[in-house]
Amino acid sequence: MVFLTPLFLLGLLAALIPIAIHLIRKEKPPKMMFSTIRFLKKTSKKLVLFQQLQQILLLLLRSALIILLVVAFARPLVNQAVARLLDADPQSAVILLDVSMSMQYADTFAVAKKSVLDILSSMTSGDEVALIAFSDRAEIVREFTTDIDGLSSFVEGLEQAGFGATAYMPNLRLADQLLETSRFENRAVYLVSDFQASASDETNDGWKLSPGVTFSGLDVGKESSENLALTDLRAPEQLLEDAAGQKILARVRSTGTSYLATGDVTLVINDQIIDRQTVDLSDQSEAVVTFDADFEGQGSYTGEVRVSGDSFAVDNVSYFTVDVLPKIRVLVVNGEASDNWFDDEGHWFGLAVSAALQSPFELESIEPRVLSAAALRQTDVAVLLNVGSLNSGQAQALTNYVRRGGSVLFAPADRVQAETFNSLFADITPALIQRQGSSRDDYLVIADFDRRHPILRPLGNEWSARFENHWSLAPVEGADVLMQFDSAEPALVERTVGAGRTLLFASSLDLEWNNLALQGLFLPFVHETLRHLAQAENIKRDFEVGTSFNLGGNAPAGINISATDVNGEPLEFAGDGYSITARQPGFIKATINGNSLNYSINVLAGESNLAKAPVSNLYDRIINPDTSPVQSRQVQTEQLVAELERPQRIWWWILCLAAILILVESIIANRTYR
Amino acid sequence: MSDSANFLDPTVLAGLDNLELRARVAVEGFVSGLHKSPHRGFSVEFNDYRHYHTGDDMRHVDWKLYARSEKLYIKQYEDETNVRCMIVLDTSASMSYTSGGVSKLNYGITLASALAYFIMQQRDAVGLITFDEQMNDYLPAKCRKPHLMHILRTLARVETGKKTNAVKPLTDLAATLNKKSMVILISDMLEDEEKVIATLQNLRAMGNDVIAFHLLDDAEINFPFNEASEFVDMENNESYITSPAAIRDAYLENLNEFLNYCKKKCQSSGVDYCLMNTSQPLDSALSAYMAKRAKSF
Repeated sequence: MVFLTPLFLLGLLAALIPIAIHLIRKEKPPKMMFSTIRFLKKTSKKLVLFQQLQQILLLLLRSALIILLVVAFARPLVNQAVARLLDADPQSAVILLDVSMSMQYADTFAVAKKSVLDILSSMTSGDEVALIAFSDRAEIVREFTTDIDGLSSFVEGLEQAGFGATAYMPNLRLADQLLETSRFENRAVYLVSDFQASASDETNDGWKLSPGVTFSGLDVGKESSENLALTDLRAPEQLLEDAAGQKILARVRSTGTSYLATGDVTLVINDQIIDRQTVDLSDQSEAVVTFDADFEGQGSYTGEVRVSGDSFAVDNVSYFTVDVLPKIRVLVVNGEASDNWFDDEGHWFGLAVSAALQSPFELESIEPRVLSAAALRQTDVAVLLNVGSLNSGQAQALTNYVRRGGSVLFAPADRVQAETFNSLFADITPALIQRQGSSRDDYLVIADFDRRHPILRPLGNEWSARFENHWSLAPVEGADVLMQFDSAEPALVERTVGAGRTLLFASSLDLEWNNLALQGLFLPFVHETLRHLAQAENIKRDFEVGTSFNLGGNAPAGINISATDVNGEPLEFAGDGYSITARQPGFIKATINGNSLNYSINVLAGESNLAKAPVSNLYDRIINPDTSPVQSRQVQTEQLVAELERPQRIWWWILCLAAILILVESIIANRTYR
Repeated sequence: MSDSANFLDPTVLAGLDNLELRARVAVEGFVSGLHKSPHRGFSVEFNDYRHYHTGDDMRHVDWKLYARSEKLYIKQYEDETNVRCMIVLDTSASMSYTSGGVSKLNYGITLASALAYFIMQQRDAVGLITFDEQMNDYLPAKCRKPHLMHILRTLARVETGKKTNAVKPLTDLAATLNKKSMVILISDMLEDEEKVIATLQNLRAMGNDVIAFHLLDDAEINFPFNEASEFVDMENNESYITSPAAIRDAYLENLNEFLNYCKKKCQSSGVDYCLMNTSQPLDSALSAYMAKRAKSF
């Protein structure tokens, strides 16, 4: 049974009125002195019982009368007809439930769940429904099912939204693709979201839903919101030992629809509160708070900047890590040392290594003859600058050093003999040197390089150095050519040997064969090369929720890595690598070859902006012009019910019945005492 | 209705405080409304002769005897004083019931007064007994004028009694009656009617004339109530909660059964039975008495 005007059914409460009157007026009747009651007492007991039954009958009649009148006004309709007609046009629907971080605001997610349940309850038997819980990607996908109750239970079991960003388009496309496999022609997409304004601006390249697919957006966002968000945080990622007086900057912004004038910002390092400041936003929408912090001692520090004073706690903490590193020990084996700095092979290299105010390197320069296994054990990177000859023992020590994880940079020049070099370092060199490629009349330039390589990625394209002489290289098997001259000859070749790696530069690192040392790129090239070789790559440690990254960075396979997530639970790694996806804000703690590292995971700044956009904005962008104007299932049902009810007129018959009941009630009431 | 009927209206009569006046108004109103009575002059009868003396009414001279003896003799008549009438008035609690007009007791007092006055006018002897569950007042039958005043004063101070027991006073009365008498019972008879009527039958069997004036209030006869009420018996304080509208038919049926029993039993034993609605005039009561008086003598 369905009703055209179901609000009238509230009047059913009036059916309690006769019962209430009956109970309220159940008082003792008035006393009446009478000459004798002998004739009264002789009346039949059955008659009295019958009168009591008449009372109850009257009560029921009056209540039934009210119920009938109420039901008549509610315009009833036998719903089998509706259900049959609706069943005759079953629907395939995809419900998109926004589980992005902004849905965690207040009770937004609970309201969203209720909206989804309402949609499910409006489905009729035979309808098939799919559910996509999404953020910037599809978090959960339940494919088409006719088990509406099961789907409802699943939705009820969803505890809270996640921390992801909001992206409608990819998920709408996924919904559209799902609908392509649906069984029924009547297809619909329901989007339950807070409709963040920041998410409504994403591009869709003119994409629209398939023709015939209707779209209904259910806005569950709050009209009014209060939020203070940390939109930016600047902290040093890596420091050298004894790095005191560091600045940490945090940008605080009021992003809710209701403006917040003040908030407290707190800096916490290694779980200890360092400083607290009050930020004043009375005449500006955002403010930058600066903290001073000292990081003494080598190690990995975890830091948090917290803001308080709003209604949305999820984005109130920004996490960061600071690694205080030891200096990289660099052993330069200078094959052409000279008192004349101009002729000294290691002069320019040394300048580059030590040029920074606080150099991350600890440089030691020796002559080839003093190179030993003991010296190698005390160094992170060995650099052989134009080293013409080493004895076999030194060569073997160097080989062992590399195999055990050491790194060597070869920069051969005029003192190097190809045969000697190739024989001494055959096991570790990335390439065999063949001949000197002198070109006095012309010069070579770097024409191509591997832009994704850690050494070359940050250096850009400004390679203008001129190479007047170089070694022609023949890369060994397994070696990678990182740079090429314009003659297509390799300029820089890398090889992984055991746990270590080697690099071979095809020219000198002074001004004898080229002018690279005079180029602006020389210093960063030297630094990045040494960092890379020392395997001290500046691994990115700060990620946003939803980002996938490799805990080991570019570390070679075989290293031992274990990690715990932000809740302290051990992380399981899928596949061969150590790639994970950040799901929650906080710190992921990893142990890589015995070294502890922290990764900070922060929420997405865009999700802190709780401003809303009209549903129509999205609707206009995605609805297909060939789709008929959207009629919700509710509207369809209402129209159908009204159409069916018109000829049926059950209410008219009910009113007739009510009239008969009035007549019966009058007759009985007149024959019955009150 | 003639003007005389107004004087018999119980409500009008009840407005008269002086019981003698009330009785006289009732009787005279009744008498003036009568047609020529077929029983006129029944109360005197020839007894003896005496010599005529100057000043005697010539109408009483026996002219036939004068013709035979040529002496004037005056016929002497003897007053009919053989009728002794006892009025037995029920003053029990149930007699005080009224539905708004005159109570049954007040009506009964008026009726008794009127009958006593009327009887005294007829130069009959009249006595009075009032009772509830016992005999309260007993005035023997006499025909003197002061006795009437005594009866009326006794009636004037009658108060409502308790339960009803008509059998005992009637039995006691029967024991004291040594000659043919008339017994007038004024009661609602809301007790054990079988015993009461049996007692009346005994009185009748003893050669007495018995009239039973059965007084009932209009509400008792028609039971016009509608609202559910707790009915309390005025004599024994028992109560009964019911809806009058629901049981009206049953009540009336029970009442009629009771009344029919009373009427049938009385008639079968020669007791004159007269059901009186206290909202109705007194004339029917007086007529009933006159009819009985006429039949008796």
